[in-house]
Amino acid sequence: MADDKSTTTPPSNNPYTQIHVVQSGDTLSKIAQKYYGDASLYTQIFQANRDVLSDPNKISPGQKLRIP
Amino acid sequence: MKKPSLWVLVMLAAVLVAACQNQRAPAEQAVAAAESALTNIRDMATRYAPDQLQAVEAQLNSAKDSLAKGDYKAVLAGMPALQSAINSLKDTATAKQQEVDAANAKAKDAWGPMSSDVPKMVDAIQSRVDILSKSHHLPKGVTKDSLAAAKSSVDSMKSAWGAAANAATSGDYNTAVSKGQAVRDQASQIMQSLGMKSG
Repeated sequence: MADDKSTTTPPSNNPYTQIHVVQSGDTLSKIAQKYYGDASLYTQIFQANRDVLSDPNKISPGQKLRIP
Repeated sequence: MKKPSLWVLVMLAAVLVAACQNQRAPAEQAVAAAESALTNIRDMATRYAPDQLQAVEAQLNSAKDSLAKGDYKAVLAGMPALQSAINSLKDTATAKQQEVDAANAKAKDAWGPMSSDVPKMVDAIQSRVDILSKSHHLPKGVTKDSLAAAKSSVDSMKSAWGAAANAATSGDYNTAVSKGQAVRDQASQIMQSLGMKSG
């Protein structure tokens, strides 16, 4: 069932795309677990934030990430 | 009592006929004028005051019946009421049209931001539904039922939004905003059920 191929991602200026403010100790996997119930879907978040993330393992507290 | 002579009776009948004929032209002209006045406002009245139009048409038909029967006196006697009814119908329909035009102008203003916002809401939902469909487990607060409902709602929202957009294209902004608001409400509800914070 899991499939990491890209899905319809809302445009970056979509005000209805949920925003997550990175907290200390967060990882994309943890964030994916929180919003999708599945840590392996972290790539969805990474792909939606390529304009601010160059490495899925490097996120900083205070960063605002789009959660598609 | 002495009976009136024949020539007196003939003269009397002639006077009556002449008097009657004297009323014919004014009666015909009055009916024609009323019919013309009603024709001028019929389209507007049909749209904005159909019940009142029906009542006025009944009055006009009654006048035409009287005219056909040669009852010119009745035609002329009923004409002030008919003219008043036509004027009242025109006033009612004009007021209603202005009311609808004003509401449509207001709806047109509302349609602008709505036409931008609602598709974005639907896009955001579509995206979330697509991703959650790939998830091995659903996040806290999201159930299989709510996800299934969201999935089926995406298509219906797109369809309803298409109808709203078509109404706007045809200039019917009241309908467009009404339908658009229904989609917006549904989208808000779904976003909540999927744990998404809108806006």
